[in-house]
Amino acid sequence: MNVFVNPTLPTSSELKQLLPELSLVVAMVCVLVQPLSERLRAGLTTALAMAGLLASSVYAAQSIGQTGEARILSGMLTIDALSQFYKTLAGGFTLAVVVLGALTGSAQRVMRRDMPDMLCLLLGATLGMMLMASASNLLMIVVAIEAASLPSYVLAGVGASGRRGSEGAVKFAVFGAACSCVTIYGMSLLYGVTGSLELGVIVSRIAEMSTVTATVGSGGAMWAMPAMVWMGLLATLAGVGFKLSTVPTHFWCPDVFEAAPVEVAAFLSVASKGAAVCLLLRVLSELGAAGASLSLGRSLGEGVPFESVALVVGVVGAATAFWGNLAALGQVNIKRMLAYSSIAQGGYMTMAASLLAVSGRLQGTGASAVVSSVMFYFFVYVFMNLGAFSVAAVVKQRFGSDDVRDYAGLAVRSPGLAVVLTIFMLSLFGMPGLGGFWAKVGLMKVMSSAGGWGFVLVAVLLINTVLSLYYYLRPVYYAVLVPERGDRPGLGWRSVWAVLALCAIVVVWTGLLPNDAMRLASWGGSVVTRAAAAATTGTSLVRPAGGDRVRPMEPARR
Amino acid sequence: MTQAMVNCLIFLPLAGALLCLLVPRPMVRSLAMLTTLATLAINIVVAQAYYTTDRKGAEFVTSVKWIDALNVFYRVGVDGLSLPLCLLTTGLSVLVLLASWRVDRAVRAYMSLYLLLLSTMLGVFLSMDLFLFYVFFELSLVPMYFLIGIWGGPKRAHAAIKFFLYTLAGSVCLLIVMLGIYFTTSRLPTGNTWLLTDAKTDSKEVSLIDPQVREMFMTRSEAEQKKIDTNRAAAEANKRVFQEPRKGMFVWLLPWFFWLSFVAFAVKVPVAPLHTWLPDAHVEAPTPISMVLAGVLLKLGGYAMMRVTWPLFPEAAHRFWFFVAVLGVFGILYGALCAMAQTDWKRLVAYSSVSHMGFVILGLAVLTRTAFDGAYFQMIAHGVTSAMMFFIVGVVYERAHHRDIDRLGGIWLRFPGLGFWSIVGFFAAMGLPGLCGFVGEVMVLLGTFAAGAKEQVSATMPMRAISLGALAAVSVVLTAGYVLWMFQRVYMGPEHPQYVHFRAISVREYVILGVLGVMAVVLGVAPVLVFDATGGTVDTLFEIFKSTAKVMASGGV
Repeated sequence: MNVFVNPTLPTSSELKQLLPELSLVVAMVCVLVQPLSERLRAGLTTALAMAGLLASSVYAAQSIGQTGEARILSGMLTIDALSQFYKTLAGGFTLAVVVLGALTGSAQRVMRRDMPDMLCLLLGATLGMMLMASASNLLMIVVAIEAASLPSYVLAGVGASGRRGSEGAVKFAVFGAACSCVTIYGMSLLYGVTGSLELGVIVSRIAEMSTVTATVGSGGAMWAMPAMVWMGLLATLAGVGFKLSTVPTHFWCPDVFEAAPVEVAAFLSVASKGAAVCLLLRVLSELGAAGASLSLGRSLGEGVPFESVALVVGVVGAATAFWGNLAALGQVNIKRMLAYSSIAQGGYMTMAASLLAVSGRLQGTGASAVVSSVMFYFFVYVFMNLGAFSVAAVVKQRFGSDDVRDYAGLAVRSPGLAVVLTIFMLSLFGMPGLGGFWAKVGLMKVMSSAGGWGFVLVAVLLINTVLSLYYYLRPVYYAVLVPERGDRPGLGWRSVWAVLALCAIVVVWTGLLPNDAMRLASWGGSVVTRAAAAATTGTSLVRPAGGDRVRPMEPARR
Repeated sequence: MTQAMVNCLIFLPLAGALLCLLVPRPMVRSLAMLTTLATLAINIVVAQAYYTTDRKGAEFVTSVKWIDALNVFYRVGVDGLSLPLCLLTTGLSVLVLLASWRVDRAVRAYMSLYLLLLSTMLGVFLSMDLFLFYVFFELSLVPMYFLIGIWGGPKRAHAAIKFFLYTLAGSVCLLIVMLGIYFTTSRLPTGNTWLLTDAKTDSKEVSLIDPQVREMFMTRSEAEQKKIDTNRAAAEANKRVFQEPRKGMFVWLLPWFFWLSFVAFAVKVPVAPLHTWLPDAHVEAPTPISMVLAGVLLKLGGYAMMRVTWPLFPEAAHRFWFFVAVLGVFGILYGALCAMAQTDWKRLVAYSSVSHMGFVILGLAVLTRTAFDGAYFQMIAHGVTSAMMFFIVGVVYERAHHRDIDRLGGIWLRFPGLGFWSIVGFFAAMGLPGLCGFVGEVMVLLGTFAAGAKEQVSATMPMRAISLGALAAVSVVLTAGYVLWMFQRVYMGPEHPQYVHFRAISVREYVILGVLGVMAVVLGVAPVLVFDATGGTVDTLFEIFKSTAKVMASGGV
């Protein structure tokens, strides 16, 4: 095990797999170099960034429908359906954010001369997030999280004004730094215990080390990991939890969202969260695959491998969902409300993802069903959240206010905007007929297929759904039911109609005819089945000598 | 052809709702009227076509795969349970539109939301797939929320959110039941199913009311069996006595499923402890919306119980009949007593709805044929009378600008025509023989006593049924009490001087009153019109109920 001493040079086929990331790098360079020439127009910078993002998304989308996985760059990155699914969405989503920023003009207003720098940071953060979705080596995970975080700190602080704004940005940076420390400490523990940085190797070593202790009396059995491993795992997951803003590492989220420009908040709430979800899915599915290979207890509570991990992650997810929803009930600032809403939504995804750690026990298609359902949720979440933030951006641009109470009379001024706002809010809540409903049903389906505390997770999800209705209806209530107070300028929302219409159409489309999107998402989850299948035959336990250094490379099958 | 028409019942109002947003403002009212009239016409044609069939099960079923992952079908059709309620909905929708003729604030949005509501309500009645049913059931909340919230009275926002939250919390319970159904029916060789009736389709799916599915709930899955075997081996190794559970894992869940799905719909009916959203929603809603709310929306709850809760969980329905019946009788009496105490006229009518819908619950609970038919008829009758009562209150409110019963009086002298139709409407609700309210209540009461006459599922049933029937019969006096007392205070006595300035009752208002009044009389003298349609379908349901009752009486389950 030593990646440092003898690095293998990337081959051209490996680089081809990296085209989504490489196109972002090229775009970053172009965006930075372009302003050196005085004659070129400023709009070109934005166009260059958009071109880079588009290329990245399109390159990633080319592998849609392919199954199989390729571990490239000495096993640092795993290119599989999950990562490509995320990259396609993230590229497209960031593109939409750039378009939104250009159309509402808020980006220019805030950043003016720093526009190229800001775009460069945005591209850099996206690059880091894409790497997070692919990372399968502890070093790569650290690098990817940092690459995603550092530009985000700057993006969050750039529009900050006044004490609250600075507080948000500083909180973000300090929290991030602290979480990174904890993560790296945890990783060093894992490395010390298992002697490997490779995710797949680490989990199988952990599985070997762990024991089943029969508890006297109840006839049940407990799956027990060494305390050191526990500490290492939990500390490592803390970094993921920070990006995912789960309890207890969520405090930065509302402050940052409130301080940052709406576009940046949208970017952080979707792209950043999605990357963290992918990373969590990858770690947990490796655990599940390693656990499935051990023929121990077959039902929850009887010593299923890693069931304590699933329980801890599930509890964290449930606590996050409750915290997000309860805190959102009292918010009047739309950005704070959406921040808590996205915390809660992240909690739902975490709850479902937690079951991956015990995927050997799941009925049906097991792990891939979990990943698919989370990916479908994420797919819908991208559009409904972007839509909600876009409406907030338009209103902020014209009214200069983030206060929900200032939405009064929106339905009279701009009926179309009120309609799409209603669609996004109801979808976030999970109204049948809109995408959010099928997303939630999908999560519930996999949760209950686990039995045991899966039913508890379903109950938590349902209770939270009812809780969330109240605050999701609040903007709608002010926009539609409360008459206007005083004169307000008309909203020029037509300028961003493209973004809004796209989001609304996707949300309604996935609500009425979700089959295509579900199929796409089930492709996004398809790779894990293969990993799990390999694990059940025992291959993941016995690695070939030197296998840590040079992984066998498997190009994606057409 | 008729199949396409059934689809039109859902999509025509939906298309109308979208068109309303596009056409010039002056044309919106006419367009909406045209849509509702066309929907009514189509519905009448469908009804005629239905009469030419054998009327046993669902007819004219459209079946298209909708969601692959969950095996959900877009499956709509007509059967005996849905057809009369569809006719009530489409017929009432024309009258409600007439009643909304003078809405002048945001007409376009109003008409659009109203037609959307119509579409979702018809969707609920026509769905033959549980999941589709659920989607329509939830969707009907959204237009209603806005209709109450935008065009309602002073506390409209509070009433609208209360309505939304209450009903939603209820339907979440249904979602749990649906997950259970999904995992149970997934074990069927043909895969999971949401099919609600024995529909005549070419798909080979098993219907949820098929005995095979109930068997599924009772038996163990392979995984469970394996787990039991493992446990037994472990227990024997530990030298401990192993007690094998007798039934499948869903057996202990069945009562939960029954109660959860009952609660989901009980909020909508409403059943007494869950009714508190109703007076608020009614008082704040504008008159036409109150008419729809009482006339149709409450029936979604009762219909859903007849369509989902009872046929899917007949064992539990037999087992818990007494608790359900107590809830029904409590609602009947509590609603009537509350109505008596009200000084707000509209609130009085709202509480009378709680009382009248209690009969539906009682009729369902005792599960005799007469009571079931009575419960169904009561829904139709209440649809007519409650809409009429709310309209009468609205007519007076529009002129007097208040609904305080104590400040009204002598209406008859100023508006003798209105007085006449009020007699028809309120007395029909009161249950005067010859008017529609009588038939439903009497059949439910007779059916309840009949349940007492012969031992059905348990030895204690006769005594309990007769006592409950006697208690429910008391409500006849209570209802007469609050209706007559109200009548005396509002219509009798000297005319108030300010009435001179009141507008005369318009032709439009007379048309609405007349049609509803005539319907109240027609249904009162010829209730067979409804039973002709429902008979075959109810026969099918009662085969299920009887077979399960036999199993229960013989000590099974």
